[in-house]
Amino acid sequence: MLSLTRRSVALGAAAALLLAGCGGGDGDNSSSSGGSAKKVTIEWWHIQNQPPLRPVWDQIAKQYMAQHPNVTIKIQPIENEAFKAKLTTTTQSGKAPDLFQTWGGGVLKQQADASLVKDLTADVQPWIGNLQQIALTPYKIDGKLYGVPWDSGMVGFWYNKALFKKAGIDGPPTTWTAFLDAVKKLKAANITPIALAGQDKWPGMYYWSYLAMRIGGADVFTRANNDFTGPDFIAAGQRLKELVDLQPFQKGFLGAKFETPDGQAATVGGSKAAMELMGQWAPSVEEQQSGKKLGDDLGFFSFPTVEGGKGQLTDAFGGGNGFAVGRDAPAETVDFLKFFLSVENQKTATATGAVLPTVKGAEAALKDPRQLEVLKTVSGASGLQLYLDQAFPPAVGQEVNDQVAALIAGKASPDQVAKAITQTAKSQ
Amino acid sequence: MARSGLTDERSRDMTTMSRTERSAVGGHARRRRRRRVWVSITLFLLPALVLFVFLVLAPILIAAYASFFKWNGLGGPPTDYVGLGNFRRLFDDEVFHKDLWHGVVLVVLSLVVQLPLALGIALLLNQRFRGRAFFRVVFFAPYVLSEVITGVLFTILFSPETGVGFAQGWLADTSTVLYALFIVLTWKYFGFHMILYLAGRQNIPQELLDAAATDGATPWQQFRHVTLPLLGPTIRISVFLSVIGVIQLFDMVWVLTTGGPVHESETMAVTMFNFGFRRFEVGYASAISMAMFMISLIFALFYQRLVMRRDIQGAMTVMGDQR
Amino acid sequence: MSHVHAGRRPRPGRTALIYVAVTLLGLTIVLPVIYGVLGGFKDSGQLSNNALGLPEPWVWSNYSGIVKTSLFWRQVGNSTLIALGTALIVVALGACAAFVFARFAFRGREALAMLFMVGLMFPPAVAILPLFVLLRSFGLLDNPLGVILPQAAFALPVTIIILRAFFRVIPREVEEAATMDGCSTFRFFWSILLPMARPALATVGVLAIVTSWNNFFLPLVVFNNPDWWTIPVGVQQFKTEYSTDYARVLAYTVMAMVPALAFYAVAERQLIGGLTSGATKG
Repeated sequence: MLSLTRRSVALGAAAALLLAGCGGGDGDNSSSSGGSAKKVTIEWWHIQNQPPLRPVWDQIAKQYMAQHPNVTIKIQPIENEAFKAKLTTTTQSGKAPDLFQTWGGGVLKQQADASLVKDLTADVQPWIGNLQQIALTPYKIDGKLYGVPWDSGMVGFWYNKALFKKAGIDGPPTTWTAFLDAVKKLKAANITPIALAGQDKWPGMYYWSYLAMRIGGADVFTRANNDFTGPDFIAAGQRLKELVDLQPFQKGFLGAKFETPDGQAATVGGSKAAMELMGQWAPSVEEQQSGKKLGDDLGFFSFPTVEGGKGQLTDAFGGGNGFAVGRDAPAETVDFLKFFLSVENQKTATATGAVLPTVKGAEAALKDPRQLEVLKTVSGASGLQLYLDQAFPPAVGQEVNDQVAALIAGKASPDQVAKAITQTAKSQ
Repeated sequence: MARSGLTDERSRDMTTMSRTERSAVGGHARRRRRRRVWVSITLFLLPALVLFVFLVLAPILIAAYASFFKWNGLGGPPTDYVGLGNFRRLFDDEVFHKDLWHGVVLVVLSLVVQLPLALGIALLLNQRFRGRAFFRVVFFAPYVLSEVITGVLFTILFSPETGVGFAQGWLADTSTVLYALFIVLTWKYFGFHMILYLAGRQNIPQELLDAAATDGATPWQQFRHVTLPLLGPTIRISVFLSVIGVIQLFDMVWVLTTGGPVHESETMAVTMFNFGFRRFEVGYASAISMAMFMISLIFALFYQRLVMRRDIQGAMTVMGDQR
Repeated sequence: MSHVHAGRRPRPGRTALIYVAVTLLGLTIVLPVIYGVLGGFKDSGQLSNNALGLPEPWVWSNYSGIVKTSLFWRQVGNSTLIALGTALIVVALGACAAFVFARFAFRGREALAMLFMVGLMFPPAVAILPLFVLLRSFGLLDNPLGVILPQAAFALPVTIIILRAFFRVIPREVEEAATMDGCSTFRFFWSILLPMARPALATVGVLAIVTSWNNFFLPLVVFNNPDWWTIPVGVQQFKTEYSTDYARVLAYTVMAMVPALAFYAVAERQLIGGLTSGATKG
């Protein structure tokens, strides 16, 4: 019923826009909508339930309410998993919050198909040009825009330079063989090579996705057409199994979550593992969860290429965070969204280090050299594939997560993984 | 004793109506009285019935209906009828097989470890010694804590970072996670079963055991031939509650492991939740609900017929057999 | 310890063995809680480096911070209100229904009773999606009744089972005497049966309170507004919000245990005594 993949997109144009498009932002946008002071309430669900972003969002809402006394914004910060459960029950009863977290892709498409979310294409027309167009891709469904991103980036390896050096690794590996070598060297030096959140499942999915892209090319998931039993996907499973067989993960990784004091991010942040495969938010979470600063020791490198594969080092896998607007939301919601995405507010959010901005010009607030590196890499990317668990319909996305987790735990073979995912995809 | 007590009760269950009927003289008065009785029945029963029908039965029926559809739960009512498709899929679902297996393991563990432990402790606490009231209070205390609170406490206790040495990482290991879960469940629930047994034991007249002792029965023989048989109804109900509890297990697993790693501690309710709330396959999730419901129901009927023989209500509360 | 008459005094050697056994078991029950209490007095660094030892220094801010926030007390208040509301409704409706099932004979009685028993096989978690839709259409979301009513409905089967068994054993003579005195059905129920059944009513009330107090899933789904959150929802939320600081989470968890344990201390007789010896009053 759904076409399975978001199209991989050429990013060249976006890069050009990124460099050029600073000046024209909307500057001050107080008193935008007309004078009709009808009292409205905007119910806003977001998942930034922790600092550093939570107070920033609060501040932005407060400012907006001060400028628009008729608008009350009811903020509801909810933890990620709880948010998904809560949104399900709410949408099941045919309603959606006025403004809420979305990652785009298949989940958003389901909501759009059930006409729970507003088609924003016309409403945001005047200012959407201020955003990097590549960041919009996951939120476009059948040519219509159903969500607006405030964060966009890619997944890659975050590594501890000091630990790499200690293990005698010269520089970040660029091929799978070199990568496996690096893992072996780290093991030999008694360093845990990789931290992984086995309980959360989605971080494991990144490995399989990237391997499939490196082997079959950036558009491998589009071409698959719901059949994941092709040789590229089997090979991806086999390569991943090679890695798993080296036992590169931290002790107890199957029970670890990403964002806890004993989780994936904290393990890397506390220098207890040499690297993790994660998105643009990794440095800020590592610091927050471990309470330690890696500083210049933390580096970023792209997922290595696989020898003989069609994919390139510059094919990117990732995505970001956005907001969708509920069907029955008051008109002011879109206006608030515009305010939320003003250059000023994006700069404030970016300055926390937890956001890679989507509004042109806001990247000036990026101080962290590593994040600039990600931004540079993603701008130079030759294609972008959205996270599979968002790109696919939820059932397929979760099946991918599940199956890859089973592979990593040694409970499923590459063949079984491919078959199971295909079966779920075909049934949709 | 318990059984006779119950039959006694049943025969004593002479009711207002039959009695009034018997004593009624004229047909007219009889009819009026009958009507009054029906009014009473209706007035007393209706509020509970309404609440129950709307908030328990209606959801069951809705879930039953939805289980015949492929439905993502979004937008209007389900339309994509698939017949028994969801149930067929359930039969082939390896995760569901695992759920069943985990249920069996947990039930068996409960029967061989948790309940005997509870029974043993109950018999110990039935002895006279200083401080036994205190111990009874302590053993039962975890029962009043919520599964969420218990779960959070033990997650941190089992955490590789902040946990207690030997237990670190138990929840992260596919080969230990189910046992770790069982340990936490036992920690929380054995006190409840202990209380049931204690009550059952205290209903056994001391004279019976004394008589056995005078006849030269060893303590073991007393236990085997007097205590154990007389605890029958209590044991049966304790087993029953234990099994039903395992079938419906959710909160604790959710807080401790969310069913992982790789489904190794997953239960039916967790699978149901995953499909209903994460995969948006509400039709399939409803089918899992119905499977849980049917398994509970069949178990209850089977158990009642073959094991408990209609003494379910009496034994359930340990009150029926008290007189 | 109210009604224990049974049990012989064992020989001294065996007493020692009994003490060893119950003490060991008692420790396994108590130690995790002590770990939690002490953990709350540590900071996160201490907790990971010194999980088992005493705090050094003792950090009071975790506990004092929680006691000072209105959030925690609000959750205690919400949980209390909802637990009491649930207990009140389930006891009232359950007693009426149990009375009918226990002391009237009519066609379809057993079938109706069975209908209620069916509810016992259906955990609320399974019904949560349809239940949510129903509550929504009744306009009961973000309303304490949205949790109280379903909880009461799901607690009805157990309540009816217990009370029915209890009402049954009240001797016929009592009822006959009452009827002879010209007591109406309602008067008999209200002024004779209920007072006699006080221990059983207390038991089911306390059971309903404990179940409600511990309920997690329903309030999580029904209450969007944090102002209505109950303790378990609050604990879960606190855990994710302060996921960096397990010591603080432990402090919150321990604080959340206090009301339940305090209630247990007060209502222990009803909870245990009711389960064990309620019927002796009959």
